[in-house]
Amino acid sequence: MNNKVFLTIMLLLFLKGLSAQNIDIRGYARTYEGILTETGNLAIAQQTLDLSFEKMGNKSAFKVNPVIYLYDVDSLNLKLRELYMDFFFKRFDLRIGKQQVVWGKADGVFITDIVSPLDLREFLLPDFYEIRRGIIASKLNYYTGNSTIELIWVPVFTPNEWPQPGSIWYIEPAFPVKPEFNYSRSDITAGIKNSEVFLKYASLGPKIDFELMGAYTWDDNPSLFTIKEFDTLGGHPALNKLEIFPEYNRLVVGGGSFSTEIKGVILRGEGAYYYGKYFQTTDALADGSLTEKDYLHYLIGADFSIGDVKLSSQVIQETILDYDDPILRKQNITTMTFLAQYDLFRETLHLELFTYLGITNEDALIRPKITYDLDDGFSVLVGANVFTGNTDGRFGQYKDNSMIYTKLKYSF
Amino acid sequence: MLISLLVLSGAFQNANTQSLTGKEIIDKTYNRPTGEDQESDLKMTLINSAGDTRIREIKQFTKDMGEVEKSIMFFISPADVRNTSFMNWSYDDDRADDQWIYLPALNKVKRISSDSKSDYFMGSDFTYDDLGDRKLEEDTHELLREENINGKACYVVQSIPVDKDYMYAKTITWLEKETFIGVKKEFYDEDGDLLKILSIKEYNNIDGFDIITFSEMKNIQKDHRTEMKLSKIKINTGVSDLKFSERMMTRGL
Repeated sequence: MNNKVFLTIMLLLFLKGLSAQNIDIRGYARTYEGILTETGNLAIAQQTLDLSFEKMGNKSAFKVNPVIYLYDVDSLNLKLRELYMDFFFKRFDLRIGKQQVVWGKADGVFITDIVSPLDLREFLLPDFYEIRRGIIASKLNYYTGNSTIELIWVPVFTPNEWPQPGSIWYIEPAFPVKPEFNYSRSDITAGIKNSEVFLKYASLGPKIDFELMGAYTWDDNPSLFTIKEFDTLGGHPALNKLEIFPEYNRLVVGGGSFSTEIKGVILRGEGAYYYGKYFQTTDALADGSLTEKDYLHYLIGADFSIGDVKLSSQVIQETILDYDDPILRKQNITTMTFLAQYDLFRETLHLELFTYLGITNEDALIRPKITYDLDDGFSVLVGANVFTGNTDGRFGQYKDNSMIYTKLKYSF
Repeated sequence: MLISLLVLSGAFQNANTQSLTGKEIIDKTYNRPTGEDQESDLKMTLINSAGDTRIREIKQFTKDMGEVEKSIMFFISPADVRNTSFMNWSYDDDRADDQWIYLPALNKVKRISSDSKSDYFMGSDFTYDDLGDRKLEEDTHELLREENINGKACYVVQSIPVDKDYMYAKTITWLEKETFIGVKKEFYDEDGDLLKILSIKEYNNIDGFDIITFSEMKNIQKDHRTEMKLSKIKINTGVSDLKFSERMMTRGL
């Protein structure tokens, strides 16, 4: 028997046992299919069983969230999105185990929300609770009045997950010669020395909510340390070998966010200063073709309504400070998001349009969708992901991956 | 906002109620004693014209803290909204309410606009404003007549919003003379046509307070209705101030 199938059955039996102990069992079953509009090829064939087992007590609680993904016909993938224990005290809570952490006030943009890394194997298309990866961490929340101080210790570094060759979301890096990848520097040994620490002060109260945060962390994206070898035959140096060492670098981040209401409009802002982020450069003198720069990432956004239509928009900017021309990435990148939602028929039919608009790169990802609640807990979704614009842009590069898709979901 | 149909409820009154004005009658209803704190289970049944039903269940808590009244709701069903929570802080002065929602799928608490009181609550026939305690000065109130309904003498009071852009052109409420509990209310749309009728099916005296436990809102124009039942009502049990916090919104029940 396939090991994954065996493990899945064992897990289900184990969880059935848990259900006998008055453990709250929730979750959903979902079938999700998508077809590329360009070729008509099936791009997504994913069946999902997401289970959540929770027990809540006065002094403690636990949650286990196994997720079973079936890709295509028989490619089974089992993962534990979260597994943690909670301990409740009068003034503080302690959560230990694999968990997802969400910070900040931005929607669909990750600025101070850097505790949980991202699963980007399907770009930004999955729902946001599916994009975040769980981290092994201990989280302490101390409460005073309307304020919370949150301290997180992460002994095991978990990076962002990227698409692999063979995936329609994999973009092969462009190099003048075929590179050799050496992953000997990309392992971060778990332990105190390599752990990450995140600290947040948050206030939720009359008029305004705000958060201040700091982090001593790792950049969740690897930088590509590059060693070049040249031939000098004929008197002219010619590149003949590229060896690339993906490596993770330490990062210090400070930032904050706020949210307030002004005459019926929710105004949101978020910003973070990244000290010492590495960027690729063509500067011949740069060690490993990398340069270390400070980096600013911030946004301003507003949520409001026109009639029964709920609208939300954000303007996001990324800036590399003390910029040098040889840096491969643009100094400033501006992006906008736009969201419109409208509910009909006693909130059984939901219309939504979400768009990422790349202002600098003149590209976009447009995501219309219609969801109909056939019955309580049973929904049918039909949607599209339209990638358009400059093929050098973050969204335009996936121009061939525009698709229509459907999701049938039963929540229980 | 505690969902208890405050707008139609009132405590037993012993005051001299002769020659009261419409405003005085509504004032007595709005300012009824409701206890320091309450908790209850709410079940809404949404029924369409074909008789199909959908169920919404909520656990709710409220506490009057002097200048501010705080309430928090935890959504229990349907399954796709379970563990969603909603918190409202309502102020005695002219300040707008502060409101937040916790969505488990986003795993964070979001501030939302309190300027959406005309929105329908969870797809029901009740708007947020129908469920809350509207301020006395937001309408002009006129006593139209007195008449019997269900065998009980009632005042019939018409309330016209000061804000001409409000979703209702007027409401007409039947309030029992003895208890000041509204037993029926008609809502008229912006064109002056009858839109909805609220009927009180049952109320009970719990710990000395009159609480409406079963009501129905019927949309006359679209022929659908919502039944609302309150159960497990507890009053003045000493609900902690800490219940109304981000910590509890995210922790859930």
